Amino acid sequence: MLFGRNRKNPIAIADKKVVDWTYATCGYCSTGCAIEVGKNSEGKVVASRGVGGADVNRGKLCLKGMYEHELFEATGRGDTPLLRSHIRQDFQPAQWDTALDHMASEIKRIQQAYGRDAFAVVSTGQILTEEFYTLGKLTRGLIGTNNYDGNTTLCMASAVSGYKRSFGSDGPPGCYGDFEHTHCLLAWGSNLPEQHPIIYWRLKEAMEKRKFPLIVVDPRVTMLAQFADIHLPVRPGTDLVLQNALMHVILEEGLEDKDYIEANTSGIEELRAEVAKWDPTTAYKVCGIDEDTIRNVARLYAKAPSAMHIWTMGINQSTHGSDGVVGINNLSLLTGNIGKPGGTALSITGQCNAMGTREWSSCSGLPGYRALENPDHREEIGKFWNVDPGFFPTKRGLFQTDIFPAIETGQIKGMWLVATNPITSMPNTARIRKTLEKLEFLVVQDAYVDMETTQYAHLYLPAAVWAEKEGTFTNTERRVNMVRKVTAPRGDSKSDLDIFNLLAKRFDPGQKVQFPETPAGVFDEMRELSRGRAMDISGMDHDLIEQARGIQWPYTESQRNSDDPPPVGGVRLYTQPGSFHHPDGRAKLIALPFIDNNERPDEQYPFWLNSGRLVEHFHTRTRTGKVGNNNKFSPIPFMEINPDAAATLGIRHQEYVRCVSRRGDAIVMAMLTQRVPRDMVFIPFHFFDCVNRLTLGLLDPHSRQPAFKQSAVRIETIVDQIGAARISRERRTY
Amino acid sequence: MASSHVPIDDRIIASSKIQAEPEIFEVRRDEPEHAFLWDSDGAKTQENNCYGSPITLLDDSSALYGDSLRINGREAVGSNPNRYKQHGFYFNADNCIGCHACETACSEKNDNPSHIAFRSVGYVEGGTYPDYHRINISMACNHCDDPVCLKGCPTRAYTKFPEYGAVLQDPDICFGCGYCTWVCPYNAPQLDPVKGQVTKCNMCVDRLEVGLKPACVSACLGNALDFGVVENIPENRIEAKTGIPGFPSADITHPNIRFQQTRSTHTQMTRTDGMPVKYRKPAGGEHFVPEVDEKIGRKKQWNWRKLLTSHESAHVIFTLSAQAVLGAFMLLGVSLLAGGIGSTVLTQTAPLAVTLPACIGLLSFGLFKLNMHLGKPHRFYRGFNNLRWSPLSREIAGISGFFTFLLGFTLFVFFDNSLARFASIACAVLAALSGLVGLYYMYRIYRIKARPFWDHWQTATAFAGNTLSLGACFTGLLALPAILATGASIQPLLTALSSVTLAGLLVEALGHICHGKAMKRQGGEGASSWYLQTTRFGYPWVLRNALLALAIVTALAITISAPALTGWQGVLAWGALSAFAIAAAGISRSLFFVLVIPTTMPGAFFWKNQDFVEHARDSGLVDLEPVGVVREHAGQFKMDELLETIKNTSLKEVVAHIKDIVVWKKLPR
Repeated sequence: MLFGRNRKNPIAIADKKVVDWTYATCGYCSTGCAIEVGKNSEGKVVASRGVGGADVNRGKLCLKGMYEHELFEATGRGDTPLLRSHIRQDFQPAQWDTALDHMASEIKRIQQAYGRDAFAVVSTGQILTEEFYTLGKLTRGLIGTNNYDGNTTLCMASAVSGYKRSFGSDGPPGCYGDFEHTHCLLAWGSNLPEQHPIIYWRLKEAMEKRKFPLIVVDPRVTMLAQFADIHLPVRPGTDLVLQNALMHVILEEGLEDKDYIEANTSGIEELRAEVAKWDPTTAYKVCGIDEDTIRNVARLYAKAPSAMHIWTMGINQSTHGSDGVVGINNLSLLTGNIGKPGGTALSITGQCNAMGTREWSSCSGLPGYRALENPDHREEIGKFWNVDPGFFPTKRGLFQTDIFPAIETGQIKGMWLVATNPITSMPNTARIRKTLEKLEFLVVQDAYVDMETTQYAHLYLPAAVWAEKEGTFTNTERRVNMVRKVTAPRGDSKSDLDIFNLLAKRFDPGQKVQFPETPAGVFDEMRELSRGRAMDISGMDHDLIEQARGIQWPYTESQRNSDDPPPVGGVRLYTQPGSFHHPDGRAKLIALPFIDNNERPDEQYPFWLNSGRLVEHFHTRTRTGKVGNNNKFSPIPFMEINPDAAATLGIRHQEYVRCVSRRGDAIVMAMLTQRVPRDMVFIPFHFFDCVNRLTLGLLDPHSRQPAFKQSAVRIETIVDQIGAARISRERRTY
Repeated sequence: MASSHVPIDDRIIASSKIQAEPEIFEVRRDEPEHAFLWDSDGAKTQENNCYGSPITLLDDSSALYGDSLRINGREAVGSNPNRYKQHGFYFNADNCIGCHACETACSEKNDNPSHIAFRSVGYVEGGTYPDYHRINISMACNHCDDPVCLKGCPTRAYTKFPEYGAVLQDPDICFGCGYCTWVCPYNAPQLDPVKGQVTKCNMCVDRLEVGLKPACVSACLGNALDFGVVENIPENRIEAKTGIPGFPSADITHPNIRFQQTRSTHTQMTRTDGMPVKYRKPAGGEHFVPEVDEKIGRKKQWNWRKLLTSHESAHVIFTLSAQAVLGAFMLLGVSLLAGGIGSTVLTQTAPLAVTLPACIGLLSFGLFKLNMHLGKPHRFYRGFNNLRWSPLSREIAGISGFFTFLLGFTLFVFFDNSLARFASIACAVLAALSGLVGLYYMYRIYRIKARPFWDHWQTATAFAGNTLSLGACFTGLLALPAILATGASIQPLLTALSSVTLAGLLVEALGHICHGKAMKRQGGEGASSWYLQTTRFGYPWVLRNALLALAIVTALAITISAPALTGWQGVLAWGALSAFAIAAAGISRSLFFVLVIPTTMPGAFFWKNQDFVEHARDSGLVDLEPVGVVREHAGQFKMDELLETIKNTSLKEVVAHIKDIVVWKKLPR
């Protein structure tokens, strides 16, 4: 049968004629997918594909990774340094030498005039680990400001803080392989299908082979909530109460692992006393989950041979985010679910190298999970870097979210932003704008010159993006993976490593402190400093990492020398009794009193405002907003609102509305859906001049992470829809 | 088969250079197991599909067996043992997470710009928080047993291959009329306004040839999308249904897609896109049926701009002008048959000298608008390629014949010798015949099952009625003043023409009344179109009805009182009637095109939402970088490309091509 014609026609199918594939690790989220980037015979980058033999993604990619090769040619990239003496002036192109000389002299001027800490450095979770390490060395060892942090405070600070409080060190103890062993999974404020689709696929594969209960805690009916065996639509900001109630039932019914608690933990009595207050009946009135369900879930979880938690921003971005993480750790420790296959508390990270910055950037201390507060650590690093240990502060400085208020109040006069966009990403952006206007000197270092915060910069430094440079990322399961250089940096832009190294020369003309020129050289230093530490990478080097398609830490030199090839996956922490990082080797069970300090809906502002991520976008859209085959799925911001609430307000589907909070307003297109309750709206966080004009962002007392997901708003209809469309469009114009 | 855990030593270290002669498609050394087709052993294959058609499409005795697909000029023949079996997608609606990986992998592989996608994900949703359920639906081409796209395409750009049963379309043949996008119930063919051509899913036959699943299936992250020989149920799946909520009836084309949907749904599922359609599961019924979703309330609106400047306004102009000219010519023909040249007022030289050039002028204008509406107007000659199947080809042939013979008639009718007289009569007969054939297929074009609003006999009454009414009005407008100028009486003609107009208007009105009732009764997309007619375009619809009524009353009055309407009074009355009738027909035909709601798949909030597409164009969002929407583009007549074709096509090729059009080999299975 040949239907349609008498003779067969030849077939033409698009062929990108790739002749050369280069290995890289995706630069978007923290899943850590291995990508091959394809070039044609003219050297043009034309294709991306998932690496088949990589354990993380096994040939798969999400829609962002599939088009990551388009970043190199995207619009809005910066290709030359830009300089101006006042933010109301136009930028003038500058030579790198002029730009960096000026930058160094401004930093020195500000530090001399107002003190060393009057210049702040705020970095990111996006650049390579070798670059983080170098930035840390430059900032801690040469510039010497203690107001140095990363934008990871907006996403991972609570997880870091919670891990440290419970286990004595940062570092997610589990791995993706735990899905294949667990008998019960609790997902807290984590929507894998939208946020980490490849991790979702790993979970789905595991569930198809061996079904186990999936319990999802989320106030919104996300895709994951829809697929859950039990969905707990908790009231915003009350997950701690739910955790306490679950622990209440476990302890009341004697379902805890007494031997494990005895051998591995401290603090059980204080915890028991606190959770005694949270019987399920009391908890129900606060968190909205009925007592039968609480008991049912507690029994299911505690009786499972192994059970695990995953969580994302639903826990972290809260006024008690750190406590929420500790609560998850408490549940895991009570039931002996740490360090065993399928039993873990796995934080799912947001940025591709949030882990790299936690390990190596020296933001919160010194490299390799070392602390400024520890004199031995200061001594050790001072010696290794050839820096006087007395130059280091003895206590960690301000977090990112405290640096901005310090600019507001005048203690900080200058700032260097590396690959972060605070006027889109920080809560209450009206306040951030006013804050940035006060700076005497702001340097923005970013791959995109059209990144919105550049409008407040005095100096813009064009950085290379992703695989225009070489180095490593660490993913959420502690896997160190390689990014090889696919193509040269755009125009006159430079890799962040080169920029840091060139600036270092301006602070250390005698080159007393060594700054290796190459990423591999930097990695050698990190390897040395990792010996015997939690994140021991002494068995790794760049080539081996690529060969193994990523290696989970710890992987020590002795493992390598004993001819153990790096395991494909499945490496866990705290597998031995009493191996936690508190001095007594025990994990801490910590009592968590609940304090309700959120801005709650009231008569004036009757809706909860929830925010979150979309699968097609990453962070502030500087990248995905320019990739048509990503951006088209949501080119403008929208707001999910319950149809019953919309009917009362007279709001129609696909109409622009004005969302108003005590901070400001935002214009969004209404999407009527029963996915959200009657008293909640949801707005994606990616869009410039949108949801973060509204958010309050109260800070967590431990992690200083803002509560992005709990604010109160009201909704106003807009008569002039054409005007609203114009405003919405203008805010999308790069 | 490759394994996902290749030993490290075997892994390709550093950047790998591909050295060897390229295969049909590269299978990587570390190709993961999930990327390979799972039913290549052939053991599971059934004899017939659920529609009763054989799954094996070609016997090994056939001359075509073992032939290369010649993909991108490569002569290699694929090694897939199921090469001659009908394949299809398998979609597990329980599992789709709406992550867009399938559609993006497809676009990446096929190098599609953001406004074109061979596969798209939309969704339906139902329930009340927190008992809320969204079903995402990923849909591409279903490579149907009865490919209506192939049958509809006038240029014969489509082929259904015996290899995998793939329905492939060749954009190098296509001239961008978009008719395939009308007939397909699943929105599979994609008309690119920028390139002016259609492209569509190619089943990744290059990957199938080497045993790999299509790119979209390999990319699926929810384990929702699968692929294999049709009716084969993948591992861990339990059913192979032909419907899920939102999917049009499989009766239309016998699509080669199978579904699983086992999770309980709500009885009503709504669409987030702008279509006023929702789906309801009748009590005791298994399949969801579409029904009206009154998304824009009940208020009547004008929406003139939307009504008159739609993409289809070229069709409004063409169909109306062709019908008017055909009607006018048929009136002339009847007069001629009645007594020959000069026997009636209409066939006097003076009115002929006006009416015939005007007919040619109007039809030329209609044909010009139609041709320039094509994505590639310089490929107009390809419209005849599919006389075998396509009503559109036949319409084009009919109307072209009519136009040609009309020209001939006009030439010969003004010569007074026997040869010319014979030639003019022959031309007149042939013009009338081909015109009627053209009109019939003009009507058949719109009898599309995937477009319920059109798929009703009202389309015939509207076209026939307008042929009479507009033909008569047009004739009268031209001939009456001309006759009056010669001093002759216009009354006989006035009476005749007004009776014809009245008949045409009554036929049209009857069609509208019955159509409205039928649409409301049948529910589904037809009822939704009717809903839009009475709301979004409510006032133009009322106006059309009023104009039609006014025209009927006027025609009746003229018919009755024709003897009293002498001279210019008659002409003026005729002018009024024509104004009513033409205005009514213009609005009517515009409504016909703008209101049709196809049975396509549900869209998402932005992507594949026609309302958002229009909003993006109206608000200027479309001019921002990549929003997945582009503006409408007028087709460009590339004379150089046409000359190139003429220069490079030998007479032999032309003859072979014509032979291919008219001689149809039935190939042995």
